[in-house]
Amino acid sequence: MSDATTLLLLLWLLPLASAIFIFAFGPLLRRAAGFIGSAAVLTSFGLTLAIASSAFATGGLKLHLLDWVPGFTFGLWLDPLSLLWTLIITGVGGLIHFYAIGYMWSDRAIARFFAYMNFFAFAMLTLVLSDNFVGLLVGWGLVGLASYFLIGFWFFRPSAVAAALKAFVMNVVGDVGLMFAIFVLFAATGSTAYSDVFAKATTLAPGTILLACIAIFIGCAAKSAQIPLHTWLPDAMEGPTPVSALIHAATMVTAGVYLIARCAPLWDVSPEARALVGTIGALTALLGAVLGVAQWDIKRILAYSTMSQIGYMIMGVGIGAYQSGVLHFYTHAFFKAQLFLAAGIVIHSLHDEQDVRKMGGLGRTMPLAFWAMTIGTLAIIGFPGLSGFFSKDAVIYSSLERGYPLLYAIGVLTAGITAYYMCRMLFVTFLGNYRGEVADSELGIPEREHADPHVGEGAPAWIMGVPVAILMIPSALAGYIVIGGRWNSLLAADFAVTPASSLATFVPEWLSTILVLAFVAVGTVVAYVRYGSFDATASAVERLRSESMRMPQLLVRAFYFDEAYDVLLLRPARAIGSAFMSVVDPRVIDGAVRDVVWLAGWFGREMRALQTGLVRGYALILALGAAAFLAYFALIGAAR
Amino acid sequence: MSAPMSVDVSYYVALSAVVFFIGLGGVILRRNPLIMLMSIELMLNAANIALIAFARAWTNNAGQIFAFLVITVAAAEAAIGLAIVIVVFRRSKNVDVDEVAGLRG
Repeated sequence: MSDATTLLLLLWLLPLASAIFIFAFGPLLRRAAGFIGSAAVLTSFGLTLAIASSAFATGGLKLHLLDWVPGFTFGLWLDPLSLLWTLIITGVGGLIHFYAIGYMWSDRAIARFFAYMNFFAFAMLTLVLSDNFVGLLVGWGLVGLASYFLIGFWFFRPSAVAAALKAFVMNVVGDVGLMFAIFVLFAATGSTAYSDVFAKATTLAPGTILLACIAIFIGCAAKSAQIPLHTWLPDAMEGPTPVSALIHAATMVTAGVYLIARCAPLWDVSPEARALVGTIGALTALLGAVLGVAQWDIKRILAYSTMSQIGYMIMGVGIGAYQSGVLHFYTHAFFKAQLFLAAGIVIHSLHDEQDVRKMGGLGRTMPLAFWAMTIGTLAIIGFPGLSGFFSKDAVIYSSLERGYPLLYAIGVLTAGITAYYMCRMLFVTFLGNYRGEVADSELGIPEREHADPHVGEGAPAWIMGVPVAILMIPSALAGYIVIGGRWNSLLAADFAVTPASSLATFVPEWLSTILVLAFVAVGTVVAYVRYGSFDATASAVERLRSESMRMPQLLVRAFYFDEAYDVLLLRPARAIGSAFMSVVDPRVIDGAVRDVVWLAGWFGREMRALQTGLVRGYALILALGAAAFLAYFALIGAAR
Repeated sequence: MSAPMSVDVSYYVALSAVVFFIGLGGVILRRNPLIMLMSIELMLNAANIALIAFARAWTNNAGQIFAFLVITVAAAEAAIGLAIVIVVFRRSKNVDVDEVAGLRG
């Protein structure tokens, strides 16, 4: 092993070692666990930077670890794509870990929290660093488990337990899809290693490829909250805010983007898979944006925006614009983590109030959160010059480049809606007057219960402030990496640059950018007029109440997806269960047992006549039996 | 082995059979438990006669040894049987086995 591979192994195992250590000594460590956990992840980040250059060598950095059965060898593989994910997981992840020290300051289970967080970092690194599908599936399952642990971290809240269970069940649906894809690919190619499978991609039958792509995408849809497996993500906001920032915004939910980008050789040869995944990505982007409009919970707004932005990424990588999709992941990780962390500061300062209707006017009292949220919002809506501008524009325009005008239209429309709901959140939260003292009923908030734990009291403000401040820099500036085509050349080892379609020559990129910006401007202005202007803030209480009252049920209920699952899956399952309970169980299973019992009883009743109690009778029977034996053997002897 | 005068083995077997059936008849027909026990002794000793007769005929001492075992078993059987008879008599003042039918189903 060369030095670089040693460091690769070390950066992969460090979070695991830290997780085990914190698990073992948690009660002794208390808050120190936070510093140990953060140090482990940030050290991994440093190691990744140290070996980053070797990822760009031909073939990347490979480390063979284990031979299991023929067709499955496990190893680590650091190439430009996995390097990018590793940097985000350890870099942004390390900052979020540090932030969480402050957020979880007074939580009794702070050590358990950091053990889970480090375990998540290890699982996510396994997912992206594996050089084969089976290792990826292991990481895939483990991040789902870590997500389950962390969503349900406050397990004394029934809603958190339900959300954790929902996330886990939906993720298992995806795991099964991914496993099926591995079966298909293994049957077709005899290997699970990326290099072997992709080398044979062009020789496989189109049907096989499409089947594998669809099965892979089921996994991606569950993990990355795409239609129709998206309903767990908003509920996952039950977890502590750092968890939402790390797992349900920056890293885990983008695993689907990673997987499709990784499987680019498969998508390259299947136009049907491209159309399918691109369409679902675009629809998810639109659906998430539309639902984001109707939310009042600051974290749920961000959750729907995450879903929407991942829709963009999936659309990008799905239609073959891998560079653009991955670029959007890269910028999104910064500004979305920042938005969540800023939201966490707000939630914290207001003692776990998450409803934006109860906020307002916070720009004056929380300048750091305000500026962080502002930069994050400008970045996500694609304000010119900020990171989201480069990546979102690239994704939207690439749909045109590759000949999907309908997806382009959806992308542009979604950009406008995104600007509207993100500015709405920003204005309602930070402008106007503070509405925390206004009664719930006056703001149109339905009855709710406050069971939220106050976990972060007493933490020094800088612990949460520093990561947010640091994240402002990449959220604003990360997009400049694309200048001069450097981004494409960085990823050149993974994706070839494909030619543009004729549609692209018809609409040049600058025109498209202006179109997108026009939609963004309209969204922003409408949001300003409705929530940010002087008139709107002056009568904010009245306006918010009437809006809450008039919100269409279709949006409040998120297009009835949960209800549809209830009707289509849960009720039939329950009906089958109750049918078994009322018919099969008593009649067939219990019935068989009862019949056996009855048979034994009947036999006993019939046989009791023989028990006369007369000793001489028994003796006679014995004698007759002996005689019968004798006669039998005598006859046998005679026959012989 | 030189036996100056030897009786054929069939006579011993016939004797054994006669004694056995006398015993069997006693067990089945008599109602006094003491007589039944004595009849059982007859059956056991009939078996002994047959065992010893065959042992001599085949010059195989296993049969003789087995006869000793039967005697031992017969002694044990008689002891237990008499004990049962005494217990039954104490409980019911009865020595008719047909009256002792508490296990009738």
